Parts: sequence; structure tokens; C-alpha cells
Amino acid sequence: MSMIRTDKLVKIYETEDVETTALNEVDISIEEGEFVAIMGPSGCGKSTLLNVLGMIDSPSSGDYFFLDQEVGHLPERKRSNVRKHNLGFVFQSFNLIDELTVFENVELPMLYTNTPSAERKRRVEELLENMKMMHRRNHFPQQLSGGQQQRVAVARAIVNNPKLILADEPTGNLDSSNGDDVMRLMAQLNEAGTTIVMVTHSQYCAEFANRIIRMLDGQVVTENVVRQFL
Amino acid sequence: MIFNNLKIAWRSLRRNKVYTGINIIGLAIGIAAVLLIFRMLSFELSFNKDFENYDRIARVVRQDVNASGNRGYTTCLPQPAGDAIESSITGIEKLARVKELWPTLTVPSENSNIPSKKFNVADAETAFFAETPFLNIFDFEWIVGDQAHALDAPGNIVLTKTWAVKCFEDWNQALGKQLLLDNQIPLTVTGVMEDLPENVDFVFPFLASYETLKANPEDYFYSEGWHSCSSNDQMYILLEDAGDWDLMQEAIAGIGAEEYVGRNGTRDHVHSLQPLSDLHFSEQWQNSGTHRISKKRLSILGAIGILILVMACFNFINLATAQSTLRSKEVGVRKTLGSSKMQLTHQFLTETGLIVAAALILGMVISTFCLPLLQHISEVPNELPFLSDYRIIAFLLITGVSVTLLAGLYPALSMSRFRPVEALKSNYSNSQLSGSRLRKSLVVFQFVIAQGLIIAALINIRQLDYIQKIDLGFSDDLVYTFGVQVDSATLHRQSSLKNKLLQIPNIEAVSLSSDQPLSGNTWATNFRYASRPEDEQYAMTMKFCDENYSETYGIEPIAGRWLTASDTMREAVVNMTVVERLGLDSPEDILNQTVRVSGNDLKVVGVTEDFHTHSVRQAYKPLLMTTFKSYYWQAGVKMRPGDLKGTLSAIQQVFDEVLPEQVMDGQFLDESIAEHYGDEERLSATTKGFGFLAILVSCLGLFGLATHAATQRLKEIGVRKVLGATIYHIVGLLSKDFLKLIFIALLVATPIAWYLMRNWLDNFVYRTDMPYGAFIIAGLLAMLVAFLTVSYQSIKAATTSPIKSLRDE
Repeated sequence: MSMIRTDKLVKIYETEDVETTALNEVDISIEEGEFVAIMGPSGCGKSTLLNVLGMIDSPSSGDYFFLDQEVGHLPERKRSNVRKHNLGFVFQSFNLIDELTVFENVELPMLYTNTPSAERKRRVEELLENMKMMHRRNHFPQQLSGGQQQRVAVARAIVNNPKLILADEPTGNLDSSNGDDVMRLMAQLNEAGTTIVMVTHSQYCAEFANRIIRMLDGQVVTENVVRQFL
Repeated sequence: MIFNNLKIAWRSLRRNKVYTGINIIGLAIGIAAVLLIFRMLSFELSFNKDFENYDRIARVVRQDVNASGNRGYTTCLPQPAGDAIESSITGIEKLARVKELWPTLTVPSENSNIPSKKFNVADAETAFFAETPFLNIFDFEWIVGDQAHALDAPGNIVLTKTWAVKCFEDWNQALGKQLLLDNQIPLTVTGVMEDLPENVDFVFPFLASYETLKANPEDYFYSEGWHSCSSNDQMYILLEDAGDWDLMQEAIAGIGAEEYVGRNGTRDHVHSLQPLSDLHFSEQWQNSGTHRISKKRLSILGAIGILILVMACFNFINLATAQSTLRSKEVGVRKTLGSSKMQLTHQFLTETGLIVAAALILGMVISTFCLPLLQHISEVPNELPFLSDYRIIAFLLITGVSVTLLAGLYPALSMSRFRPVEALKSNYSNSQLSGSRLRKSLVVFQFVIAQGLIIAALINIRQLDYIQKIDLGFSDDLVYTFGVQVDSATLHRQSSLKNKLLQIPNIEAVSLSSDQPLSGNTWATNFRYASRPEDEQYAMTMKFCDENYSETYGIEPIAGRWLTASDTMREAVVNMTVVERLGLDSPEDILNQTVRVSGNDLKVVGVTEDFHTHSVRQAYKPLLMTTFKSYYWQAGVKMRPGDLKGTLSAIQQVFDEVLPEQVMDGQFLDESIAEHYGDEERLSATTKGFGFLAILVSCLGLFGLATHAATQRLKEIGVRKVLGATIYHIVGLLSKDFLKLIFIALLVATPIAWYLMRNWLDNFVYRTDMPYGAFIIAGLLAMLVAFLTVSYQSIKAATTSPIKSLRDE
């Protein structure tokens, strides 16, 4: 069973004068446990594809099946429900909430899934320990380095044990050393069974994936297997 | 989740200190204004409500219709009309006649004619002759004595506790003790009752029995004729059933159907019932309390309070929607992580709730400090409980919830609707937030209110100034006036009083009269001119004054001469209105003619210019002045400048020497005239005070928006500066948009304020022309204040180094 399958996915952005086709009949399929990198030049539609796959944007036409359920055209409330129980997000600009401490940022997704307080505490502390961020638990995002912020963002993405992690240029704002750390973290998560879909410009990062999907002008042009997915 | 929301709200507010500060201060000002107004309204609306029979009590009043169809309103009830009500109308459980009076009450001395204590009933209080049922109709709190019969016999008096203590040191000692009414009528204390609460329309220090009035008809103008009546003669009734109003009104209207027929054959007086609930708010009938206030005035006050609070809420909405661009990323993240719209709405409402809670606390503090200011615009006593009053607490809670929803709901809903993709990219611009137009509209609305109130305040000040400076037609400069009790024992001392006062070096003239030129008192009677066969169709107002009235008050005859000394009515001086109403060509035409008033034929010896006898809200009335020694209750003393203190002390000395049994309550004439404009003064203070608050709240909001605009346009400003823009260009750029809004607000406010103030000015017979300058001044003032508010931020932005703003981007 595919975790993700799209069928002639189209996304068109319309302004008063201009109509831009960001996705043009995209058909992809991603199995559970895969680590897929999406690459392509700026404006090719890769982030749009990631947003649609992440259910934070809806397609103009075509279907999107997540775990065999069509979710592309669900109302926002239902999409939100699927999202919070199954998906984790890692952004290029981290997107941590400035008013929350490290602990609270990581805890946030569990508040929306009504996880009991004790369980939240246990889980956050465990993750922060793993990420070697425990000593920073009470710090605010502005007090952390970029690498540390992204580690917190990754912790937040996986705190609800999502089936799928969507990462949009996760190393884009990091230096090479921190970027490397984050990619190793992603690889570890994938090895532990989490499916990952990552948008990146970096060939180096893409090589952490099992498969690379290349896009141009809103269409998938090639799919390369980097190494065999078992 | 609630704790989490609170925590985030707290941190978010701390991070945006300017925004938080503006919101809290603005809302606190609005809340303080509403609290103070609520205090006034709840005080005024509570009048008389604590009487157990509140919904069954009424006063019998009268409407007079003259031949030309003009209506007059009086509380007078002639004795036979009262008798007719008592004998012929069913459904009345109890009724009580009362008569208002302002006498002197003395505690007689055992060994001397000079009383051991003497007290005047001040103008602010009103004593009553009252029938016994008065004590049953109103459930006054009784302390001691036989309440059922306390006012049955002539010479009975019931004191309030304060007056019992004043007279006898200890209220326990008062029962059975002797007092003198106006130094001549012996009274025995038959009861003591608690002092009256502040919120009733009675402020009597004591009640004397109605039988005392009947036993002394001449001293207190008691008459049993249908056509002899004063507004002091009143009747209260207690209905058997509160549902009987309509039937009862009909029956009361029938009273005097035959007796009240005017010369043209139509009814000229109609009685009706005025419910107790109307006593405090009536615009037609006086009451016996400290003041009245119309429901219209209360509604205006309430509306002003709500408007200022709404303006503060608009500030909140404006700033919150403007700031929402900065919060869009957070909304995007939260939505991506699974937050629902409801959860986000809750979160933003929690922030608003926190701000409102802080504003409530600050508002309470501000209103507590501002309580004494209420004295300038209302009659609310300072000592009323404020924050311990449960109604205030309940009102605060309701205000808190309403303001949270009113101010917070729109921004919360609007932000929670952000789509996560756009929100994450911070793609929402101000214009996309649908808030831009809304914000402009709200700013315009705020300034319409603020400028409207400024215009109202300016017109108010102008009118007040106009009526205060209006030539009253007599001189009120350095004239000291005081009351003098007149009875058979004191009548012969009048000349002695005058002579001794005139011996004081600094005194120029002394006059005794029924009342001063402008007193508000109305003595009116029918009159007939010369040989005309019938009385004139209008009433003649009268003043009784001696031969020195003219020089004391500076009223010079323009034709003929002033009155010569006489104990009784012999000659008359009239004003020009009489000459005009009689249709005479010149004042000389009336000289030596006879006019008949109250059965006396008087020879007209002089004519004066019109002068104001009542507040300048009213037109000149036909006035006749004549001598009549028995009615000289008022002394007027014209002083020369210099050593006022010494002169006043000498006047007091003469008074105590000539009239040792009386109390002197004196006042300068200009002060007593100023009291007639208390209502206008209060209205003026209200519009000034709330106008200031409105402009303050509006400018706070403007300051917040200007701060936001300057931040939003930092990069634009940087680019413009690099391209050569000067500070003036930048300040102009940022200020222009706001000033445009203020100008639009002026265009909207002008016709509204013009219409409302035109109507207000129409209440005055003598009024200033519509001061069009007020509109220009209000506009310029608002523009200036707005410009200063905005320019602080504009200049700050304009002087920031462009390198910094561009690098920040």
C-alpha cells in the first residue's frame, strides 16, 4: 500500500491578471518507509507539492490519496485532523514560536492532540535528551543557534510519532556542519521507520534519500533511485 | 490549554509593550468613563425606588392652558380640588396634602425672647406641612413617637434625626420638646425619624402638621378657593391597585370640570397624576428634592460613555488587525501543527481578556481618582459607596466580558481564518487582511465622535459665556442679599434694619423686597388695564419692592419715576413688555393709568426697560412692581468697593442686633444668579470632559497605528531616503494618510453637530449665533493633535539611517 499517491495533481494560482500553474498533472507514489527528496530549480513547484502533500494547501484539481484515503479535497477541519495525527513538518526557517520556550515548542503538537500532561512531559524530555537539547529546555528560540533551532524543530515534528515527515529545505538556513547534523538526524528517523519527503536544492542532502524526484515547470521530469529502498 | 493560552498571551503582550500599553490605557480610559457614568446613572435612576409603595404612589399635578393655547405646568392643587378627590374618587388607599415651606426653626429660650438656637431651612432643603397619611404613603424610617398620630394636631412637628440632634443635642431628648416656627408658632415634637436617604426627592428637615397650616392661614397663604393656589400646595396619593392608573387618570381629569372654565368657555386647568417614578425625571413639574434630571440627559450621558468605550474597543480592533500581519507566521505554524480555528480564536480572545482585565483594574483606579470630578457634572454625592457596591462589581464583570468580545472577537476570528500556507510565508499584507478599510472607517468614526464633542463643547462654552455676559438689565455688582422673616413682630423693625445698615460706611443703598430682580420666583395674577372691560388674556408677574429698589439694583425708569414709599399697594412701575403687550405706542402712554391687580387699583407711575427676572432660557414676562411691606422677605445691600470683609461683618452685626431671633443666610447677587446656570455649567463641563477623553482615546489609537505604519514602511522609507527624500517628505508621506481621515471625519461630524447643537441652542430664548468658527477650530484642533501624534513616529522613522532599515530587511 502506498502511503502517498497523487493522480493528475494540479495547482493553479490565480491573481487578477495572471494565472500560474504551479503543479501540472503530477503523478507520484511514495511507499511507507521511503526517504524521498524532491529537487528542481526555484519556482518549479516542489514546495507547492510539499504543501499539498502536507495538507496545508489543497489542489486545484486531481486527487491526493494519503493511506488510500482521498484527502486533497477534504474540508479544512478534517484535513487538520488527519494532519495533526499523522504528519510532522520541518521548515527551512524553523518556524518556532518566539513566545514559547524550547520545551513548550516541542510540546505544542501534543496539546492539539489532547495528550495528557504527564505523557507530554515524558515525551518532550525524552526527545530533548536525544537531541542533546535538554539543557536548553527553558530557553527561547532567539537564544539558540540556527542548528539548535532546527533540532528543536525536528523534535517538534516527531513528538507525536508521525507516519510522515515533510521537510522543506531543512538545511537551507544552516551552515554545513549543522546541516550535516540535521540530515543525519533525518536519516536516523527514516531508519527507524518514518517516511520522509524532503524538498531540497542540495545534491548533498538529496543523497541521504532513497529516491530523488526532479521537477521542472510544475511537472515531474525524472525519478532516480539513489539506493535501494528495502 | 487555558494555562498555555494565558502563558502565551502574557509573553506576547510583554513583547509588544507599546501595543499592549496603548490598548490597556485606551480601554482603561473608556472603562473609567463608563464606570463614572454608570455611577451617575445608577444614582439618578435609583431615585425613590426604595419606597415600598413606589409603583402605587403619585402626585396630583396640573396643566394650565391659556387662551392662546400655551401650556403651563404646576404642582399646585387648590384645597377644594383636593377635597373633591378625597370625597368622590374611589380606588385611593391614602392621600396626603402637603405644603412646601422654607421657614426658620428656633429653640426658645426659657429666660429671654432671643432663642437659644435658630436654624434656617436652606434653599437646598424643603420643609413640609403634611397630613398624617404622608407618613404611611412613604415608609420613612421611624425612630420614636406615635407615628399614627404624630401629625394629627395643630402644633405637631416631626424632626429628622439630624435636626433633632441640631436642636436638642440628643435625639432621644427631643420628644415633647418645644420649638418655634418662624419665631411665632409654637410646636411640640411628636416624633423623630431617620434622615432621608440621598436618593429620594424629599430633603425635608422636618414635617409640621397640616393642621398647623390651617390654624395660621394668613401667615402661610392657606386658602380654600378654587382659584387660589401655589405650586407649594401639593397632594400625594397611594392607589389601592397599581393597575388602576388609566381609570384613575380619567377620574382625576374630571375634577374641577365646572370650576376651571376660562373666559372663552374652555377648560383652562386639568389635573392629572404624576407617578412617583416620574418625579425625578419630569421636565414639566418641579419636585421637592435637590434636583431633577431628564431621561433624555441620562440617555445622552449613557450614550457618551458607551461611545468612548466603543472608541477604545475600536483602537483595540485597529491595532490587533494591524498587528496581525506580524502574527501570521505563528498562526501558520499553529495551524500546520493541528490547531483548529476555535483553538486559535480562544488563544487570541485570551490575550484580549488579559488586556481587558488589566484595563479594568486600571480603569477602576482612574475612576476612583476621578470621582471628585463628578461633582462638576452631576449631583452624585461623593460619599456614596463605589467599588464596594455590588452593582458596580456586576457592571464591571459584564463590561469585561462585553469588551473582550467586542474588541477581541473580530481580530481573533479574522486571524484564525488565515490559510496556513500564506500565513507561513507571511504573505498577508495589510490590504489583504480586509482590515485596512475597516481600520480607516473606525478611525473616521472615532474622530467624528471626538470632533463632534469638541464642537459641542465649544458651542456650549460660547453660549454659557453669552448668557453670563448678557445684559440682565440691572446691576448685580457688589449687591449682597439675604432673607428677612416678616411677621407682625418684625414688621416694625424693617425701617430700623434699613437705617442701621445705611450707617455702615461702605454701604450705598439698601432695599427690601419680595425678591431680587432675577430670582426665578413667579408671582402671577390676572390684571385689567385702565377702563378695558375685561382682564388681559395673559398673567401679570409681580414683584413687591420698596422705594430704594431702583438705586440698589440699578433699575432706572425710562419714563415717569420710581415708586414712593408706602406700606401697601398704591403705585406701580411696569416693564416695557407690559407696554408692548397692551399695544401702546410709547411708555409714556401708560403713565398715570390705572391697572387692577388682586382687587387693587394701582396708578402706573413709571416704566422700566425689560430686565431678566428668570433664567435667560425664558423670554421677558410682563412685570409689575409695587410696594407691599408685608411681603418684604429679602434685603439687598449695595456696597461700595473696598473692605468687603469688614462690611459683611458689619452687616451681620446689624442683623443680629435688629433681628436677633433670625438667622442670616447671605449671598452676593452675582453668585445667586450664577446658580441659575448650574445646569448649563454642568452640561458644559460634561462636553468638555468627555470631549477631551474622546480625543485622547482617538489619539492613542492613532499613535498605535502610526507606530505600526512606520514599522511596516521602514524599507520604503529607507529606499526613498536613499533616492533623496528629505525628512519633510517622509513626515508628509506618513502623516498625509492619517490627516486625510481626520478631515473626512470633520466633514461627517460638522452637519451632525450643527443639527444637534442648533436644536440645543433653540432651548434658549437668548442665544448666541451659531459660532461657525467652532467647526473650524474643532477641525484644526483635531488635525493638530493628530499631526503631533503621528509626527512623533514619522520623525522617528524619517531620521532612522536608511542603511539600518534596508539591512534589517
